[in-house]
Amino acid sequence: MTSKTKAPLGPGEQRTRQRRRTQMIYLGVAAVIGGTIGGMTGFFDQGDGNIFGGDWESVKLPPAVALLAAAGFLAALLALPLYGFRMIDDYKRERNLIAFTGGCLSVLAGYPMWAALHAGGFVPAPHAFGMFAIAYVSMIVAFLYARWRL
Amino acid sequence: MKNRLKVLRAERDWSQAELAGRLDVSRQAVNAIETGKHDPSLPLAFRIARLFDMRIEDIFDDGELA
Repeated sequence: MTSKTKAPLGPGEQRTRQRRRTQMIYLGVAAVIGGTIGGMTGFFDQGDGNIFGGDWESVKLPPAVALLAAAGFLAALLALPLYGFRMIDDYKRERNLIAFTGGCLSVLAGYPMWAALHAGGFVPAPHAFGMFAIAYVSMIVAFLYARWRL
Repeated sequence: MKNRLKVLRAERDWSQAELAGRLDVSRQAVNAIETGKHDPSLPLAFRIARLFDMRIEDIFDDGELA
């Protein structure tokens, strides 16, 4: 029988593992908040609207659930990212800034483009969720570009 | 920017994770610096220099000095 003894972790590796655990907790909290908002809004949805189609008039939620969802979005899309920015190092911050820049520029260019195309009769009128989706998807694409190419 | 980080790390038999922890950065950051994909900030460059007890210019080379 052979016994494989692992070399004890150095102080640096211990710190790295601790950093990774913190990141996992961060992602877990984000996932729980996201899941809670999604589940809650799906469960309490009272209307026939569809935010993907911009059908806002028919989207209905109980006021208390709406307030909770808004608080959840504030935590998930503002507080957590700001907290995360303070936790990460320069390298990851640079990649995240590239991602945010990608999202921001896409909105700046996307809205007038969409409006012009709508004016020409090519597409429906710009709506809020569409702009949100453009920003979100562009941010992810820019992040992936920064991650794999830079 | 070229640097000797990988060599210095190997001399001490440290993994990237070990060096990352000692510098308080992510392992990906160490990898990116070693491969020249990312230039460290000045505070991080100082931390690296202090960790290896060297001067910054002994570790990093911007190609300006012949």
